[in-house]
Amino acid sequence: MLVARYSAIAHRTAALLGAGEEAEDVVQEAFVKAFRHLSGFRRDAAFKPWLLRIVANETHTATRARGRRTELALRAGAEPERFPDDPEGVAIATDRRTRLLGLVRALPERERQAVVCRYFLQLTEAETAEILGWPLGSVKSRTFRGLARLREEVGDGLA
Amino acid sequence: MGSHDDLEMSLRALGEHVGPPTPPPADVARAVRARLESASGTEADGPRAPSERTGGAHGPDRRRWRPRKRWIATGVAVVLAVLLGLTPQGQAAVERVLRFAGIELQIGDPGPLPSGVPRALPGETRVTLDEARDMAPFPFRVPAELGAPKDVRVAEDGRLVSMFWPGVRLDAFAGVMDVLWRKELGPPFPQQVTVGESQGWWVQAPHGITYLPRDGVGAKDLARVAGPTLIWQLDLAGYRLEGVPDVTRALEIAVSLR
Repeated sequence: MLVARYSAIAHRTAALLGAGEEAEDVVQEAFVKAFRHLSGFRRDAAFKPWLLRIVANETHTATRARGRRTELALRAGAEPERFPDDPEGVAIATDRRTRLLGLVRALPERERQAVVCRYFLQLTEAETAEILGWPLGSVKSRTFRGLARLREEVGDGLA
Repeated sequence: MGSHDDLEMSLRALGEHVGPPTPPPADVARAVRARLESASGTEADGPRAPSERTGGAHGPDRRRWRPRKRWIATGVAVVLAVLLGLTPQGQAAVERVLRFAGIELQIGDPGPLPSGVPRALPGETRVTLDEARDMAPFPFRVPAELGAPKDVRVAEDGRLVSMFWPGVRLDAFAGVMDVLWRKELGPPFPQQVTVGESQGWWVQAPHGITYLPRDGVGAKDLARVAGPTLIWQLDLAGYRLEGVPDVTRALEIAVSLR
């Protein structure tokens, strides 16, 4: 039941935090750990951020063992459906995405993590704080700085 | 260009297109189950563990998570109940079932709490503590923190021993094989706690509890509301302490069993 409900977000979290092809391995191990450590789960806490924090820690372990994280990448075949008859529109949209993603990749580590959690994974500030093990204030300030940096870069380039 | 909101919207939209597709949850559940089962068996790695993807440094790491035997006994049973115990059709009301120390915890959407007055349990009689010790086919202990019980009752010829203090009830029962109680809980998830050297569960919210008679007859008439309850196991006996609203105090009482 837990696996069914949280599998997708767990995989996305692992992948977007840099686990790459190891995401499946990381997520399975995270579920195993979660089940074994239910004692660490406070009854007044939400299960999702608790689980995702384990996923984040596992991702960290996996990427550290590997010495690098996998760069964020656009999913193959993830073309927008808005312009089915408009190859040029598709090309432009894809190009914009690629460039914006490039800018996110180039963010300093912590700002990138904050932006990934807040916008790509669409987690709340509180969830992000718990998952990354940061104070809430750090989530706010790093997200803010990341956005500001992106906005600066995007400036005349993307919009 | 690119107002605050535009950028945030673009990022959210972009997020939908980043990262690999996720595998079907059923496959993930199977793989997780295989890892849990293999960890409690002989091999550290499950048959579905994608070893070709596992970095050299990551593989050995996994071994340090192998559980202790005691946790295998209870934890894996709980996990398997969580993973396997319920068919999709059965999920509407009950999401998870934990069986622990003679108590079945059904966690899900229990609906309204039972109403009405608690009834006497089958064969419930008032006895002295010594009589209860003679009748019960299992050894049980009394919490020193509470002193001598004000009232002692047995049900079903000693299958259940209940001790009472003002506002507090302690049930003792042979909770290793037998299931005597069913608790129906909504969220939040019960809290796992450590009672001395064993584990237990703390159920804070009021919940429905049903005594399950030995012959299974008439259980539905024995549902009532229970307050905050601590459940744990010591030696061969399962215990449930009801009526102490504070988990710290409940644990003090629980570890004072003599």
